[in-house]
This record gives sequence, C-alpha cells and structure tokens, in this order.
Amino acid sequence: MRLKNILSLILVLFMFLGIAWADTVKVGFNVPLTGFAAADGKSALNGAKLAVKQANETGGINGEKIELVIYDDQASPKEAVPIANRLIEKDGVKVAVSGSYSGSTRAAAGIFQSAGIPYISAYAIHPDITRSGNYVFRTSFMGEVQGRAGALLIGQTMQHKRVVVITLKNDFGKSLAAGFKAEASNFGIKIVNEYEYSIGDRQFGPIVAKVRADKPDAIYASGYFFTAGPLVNQLRSGGVDVPVIGQEGYDGEQFIKIAGAFAEGVIITTSLDRDSNSPIARSFISEYEEFSGNKVDMVSASTHTALKVVVSALRKAGTNNPDAIRKAITQTQLNAATGKISFNKLGEVRKNVEVQIVKDGDWHYHSTIRDQTLLAPPES
Amino acid sequence: MLFLELFLQGIIQGSIYALFAVGLTLVYGLLRILHVAHAGLYTLGGYFGVLVFNSSGSLILGGFVAVLGVGFLGIIIYRLCYEPILNQPPYVPLIASIGLFIAMEELYRILFGSYGVTYTNPPLQEMLPLAGFYLRQGEWVTILVSIVLIGGLTWLSSRTKLGLAWRATVTDPQMAESFGIDPIRVRYFNFFIGSALAGSAGMIVGILNNLVEPTMGSIPSYKALAIIVLGGLGSVRGTLVAALALGVVESYGTIYLGNVLNRDAIAFVFLIIVLMIRPQGMFRGV
Repeated sequence: MRLKNILSLILVLFMFLGIAWADTVKVGFNVPLTGFAAADGKSALNGAKLAVKQANETGGINGEKIELVIYDDQASPKEAVPIANRLIEKDGVKVAVSGSYSGSTRAAAGIFQSAGIPYISAYAIHPDITRSGNYVFRTSFMGEVQGRAGALLIGQTMQHKRVVVITLKNDFGKSLAAGFKAEASNFGIKIVNEYEYSIGDRQFGPIVAKVRADKPDAIYASGYFFTAGPLVNQLRSGGVDVPVIGQEGYDGEQFIKIAGAFAEGVIITTSLDRDSNSPIARSFISEYEEFSGNKVDMVSASTHTALKVVVSALRKAGTNNPDAIRKAITQTQLNAATGKISFNKLGEVRKNVEVQIVKDGDWHYHSTIRDQTLLAPPES
Repeated sequence: MLFLELFLQGIIQGSIYALFAVGLTLVYGLLRILHVAHAGLYTLGGYFGVLVFNSSGSLILGGFVAVLGVGFLGIIIYRLCYEPILNQPPYVPLIASIGLFIAMEELYRILFGSYGVTYTNPPLQEMLPLAGFYLRQGEWVTILVSIVLIGGLTWLSSRTKLGLAWRATVTDPQMAESFGIDPIRVRYFNFFIGSALAGSAGMIVGILNNLVEPTMGSIPSYKALAIIVLGGLGSVRGTLVAALALGVVESYGTIYLGNVLNRDAIAFVFLIIVLMIRPQGMFRGV
C-alpha cells in the first residue's frame, strides 16, 4: 500500500516535471523522406531545419525554443492524412508546414482546415490547396501563375512563337501547362504540339524524335530535376538545339549534374536569384550550403521561407491560439530569400518571378518578371 | 522517317526490357517464383556501373563489375532468401521477394543518397548518325549489347553442357536429377545469368539517363511481370518478343496516345488485349 502511494507520487511528480519541460513550441512538418520524392524531401527538411536553427539562435519564440515535429509522408496522400491527424491530436501543434508534393499537401490541407490549424504549403503548387479554406497558405507560386510567367518570358521577352510543350503528367506539370496555355496566345505563341510523360519516365527517345520533326522555336518543358535532367540531356544529344524553358522543378545543382554540358543556356522561372544583391538571399545561400553541405535549390529556399513566415507569425501572435496565428500570417510582410512575402485573400503569395539561366555550369540571373496583373493569383 | 525513328526507339526500349525480363522469366521457369527483388539487382547494376566508372574512368571495368558482381549477388539472394523457403506455398517467396526489394531500395537511398548518382564525365553521350538515323552512341550500344548478351545466352543454352543440363531441369526436374544433373548448380547458373542480364540493363539505363536512383527499379519491377505473362510464363523466346513488342507499342503510344493514356498504362492495356485473345500468352511457356 505504502509502495503504491510512493510510486503514484513519483509518477505525478514526473508528470509535472514533464509539463514543465514541455516548453518547446511545436511546428508540424510533413515531408517525403523516403520513396520517389525523397530527393526533394531532403532539401525541404534541410531548409526547414536551417530556419528553425536560425530562429532558435535569435531568441526562439519569446524565449521558447521551436521544435519541428517531422513525419515522413512519402509524398503520398494516403500517408499524409493520418499524419495530419496525428499532428493535430497527438502532438497538439498549433501550426504546420508542408514540405511535400501537391498530392499529399492537398489531402492534409483539408484536415488542417477543418481543425482550424494554420497550414502553409512550402512549394506544392496545385490550386486546390489554398481553396481548402482560410487557414491554408502557400509561399510559392501557384502553377497557373508560373505558367503565365513562362508564356510572357517565351513570347514577349524571348520572342519565340512556335513552341512545343512537354508536360509532366501530375498536379505540378499540369497546372504549369494550364497557366502557360491560357496566356500563350496573348503573347503570340502558337503551341505546335503538346506531349505528356509520367513522373517515372526517364527515357524520352520517342518524344525527342518527334520534337526534332516538329522543328519548334522553343520548348516549354515541366518536370523535376530527375526528369528534366535526362530530358534536356536527350533532347540536346538528339540534335534539338532550340531554347528549353523550364520552371522551379529544375532549380538545383542536380539538374546541371545530370544534363552536364547540355544544361548550358537552359532558362527557368523560379523564386530564387543566385546573383541577388539582397543580404537576406545572400546569407541564406551561404548559410544553407554550410548547414547542409549541398548547394541551394528552390525546394529548400521555399521551405525555409515558409518556416520564416511561421516564426514571424508566432512571434507576433503567441503560441497558443491558432486563430491568432492565422491572423498574423495573413498580415505577413516579410523579406525572405525567395522575395517579399505577403498573402492575398486566398492565402496565395504575391511576389515577382525570378528568371534564371544556366551559364558556365551554374544558375545565374537572367531577368525578373514584375507584371503584377499577369502574376496576380486568384482571390478565391 | 519519323515512323522508322519511333520504331527504332521502340526497339531500344524493348531491348532494355528484354535484358531485364529474361532474368525474371528464367527464375519463374525454373522455380515458379516471381522474383520481384530482381528489380533491386537491376538498380544495383546501375550503381556498380556509375561508381566504378567515376572512380576508375573505365567503362569496360564498370561493365564487368555490373554484370559479374550483380550475377554473383543474384546467386547469394537465391541461397539466402529463396532456398530456405522453396517448399513453402508460392506466396511465401513472393512476399519475401517484395520485402527484399523494398529493403534494397531503401538501402540504396541510405548508402548512395536520395539525390541519385550521376556520371562525372558521362560516356557515350554524343550523336552518332548511322544509316540516316540520329541516335546517340549509348543508344546504338544498347542495341549491340542486347544482341550480344541475348545471343550469348542462346548459345550457352543450346551449345554447352551446362545449358543442356539447365534446359533439361526446366523441362522435367526429377528426370534431370535422375540423370545425374545437379539441380543446385543449375539454379546457381540460372540466377547468375538472369541477374547478370539485369545488371547490364541497369548500367545501360544509368548511362542513357546519366542518373542512377534508388527507386529506378520500381516501374520495371511490375512492367516486367506484365511482359513475362504476355510472353508466356517461363518462355524466354516469348519474353524477348513481348519485350520488343511492348517497347515499340510504348514508343508510338507515347506520341500518339500520350494525351489519353499514361505510358505505363499502355503496357497493361496491351497486355489485356493480348491476353483476351490468347490467355496463355504469346508463346507457350512452362
């Protein structure tokens, strides 16, 4: 009897100590650490961890340290849903970030919206993500917006009129193509042909042969580095010399490694300017390389920005009230590595599109697209 | 001209499928096991090739390591994974194989990184126009290597004693054993040849794409199952024909049906159509 009392007392003591020790601020984070998207997941995780480390080194959230609660969702909606539930119910996070692809982010967004927990999509671009509701935000461009920028870039800036579109058949590629096609005729572009491929394809022999026969002035191709790298490699060695314009999926050193010398001259629309003079961008680039041992890419930059938005909102609104945090996010005016961040009514970010080109084996500044009417994301 | 180019692209893709799928059908023909982990050996061939080339500069050496190294590993997988469970119902080796494949994929990711490995000085990338066709050196080499390897396999099986023993064991294992043929040696030979072919396919794909990734075996793993069913389970000739046919169908399908059907879906639609006409597959298997 006595022993039982003492044991219960010790247990209660530990409970209180545990509560006292639980003075970290938890931020939920779903990211693909295994599976086909593990490469981008690694970049996203490093970007997020760097942001958290920097925040904790500058006082955390009013003294409390931030803790990333990380779950591997394998970029699968099936995995993302139970993860979202676990983050909300078991870990009790008051805010979360998605470092994952559109499929899983879309699925999780609905759950966070219903639970009233703010959720930020770092780089998943499907339009329906923010349409889940007013608790969901996005710190990178919608696919359609970036696609429109691509049309301006090719038709107006570069003055190419006959374009072949090569589309990755998933949320990412299809929304880019939709935006491109919507604005193409406004910039005098005639789409000669469109070819689609799946995320598992690495061999594009038939498409290369057909594009060679099409003889376009330029190629607008969507994909990630592990599809775009082989695609550009095969296009160039297959004798197709016309400009290739891609998007942020190419944005990293892996693309250049895979395509090798053939990467020279490839142009992309993206969020990060490697040649930027902004001290924030420059410090991010050097700190990320030191922290992760890899060169920067769009995924790490966008995820870093998303975490910075969370940190800034938490510092303003405190850590207990998700609704106050949500409100603070809507009022974000932040300078991040990926630009000046502010959100519209739908939770979409409003910023310029950076255009980068591969020169001398590295990404460099090409131009900036500032047309805010063209780039305006939908309000609902 | 485009028509012929697409056909040739189909043959190239089909050759890669053939190198991969033959190993799978060999294992099925001998042991009635669906060797899903075969795809893990394919990926390993890619890694051996790129890592050896990057450190030594020799493509030939890379080729040897990819083919021979993976071949021996195939034997080890048989010894450690399949031999202990041969007398279990067929789903047991199947599940073991799937588990092994998943483990191999993750092991590659942990050992070699999530970003994949590329050739630092990619070989065989240049264009080599021959007979009016503009293919890369790597693509011509693919066709050549496939012909040599499959031809070598055919010669081995029909002209050597080991090949004869092997064919006898496949046809009638008990009769063969009673004639003094060692079934274990035949199985080692079977796994070695099949895995070596898969390793060569992996290395070829690594060169063509200039990228070797942990998950590169995922799609071939199930597509090859479709191919060997299409060709007639256990029939090497059937697998070859099915692989080449599929490559060609996919090539035209990507261009002309690409907006309607996924490239991988084309494989399965093709399979369904053929199986509806000829349920046993194109050729008679075992």
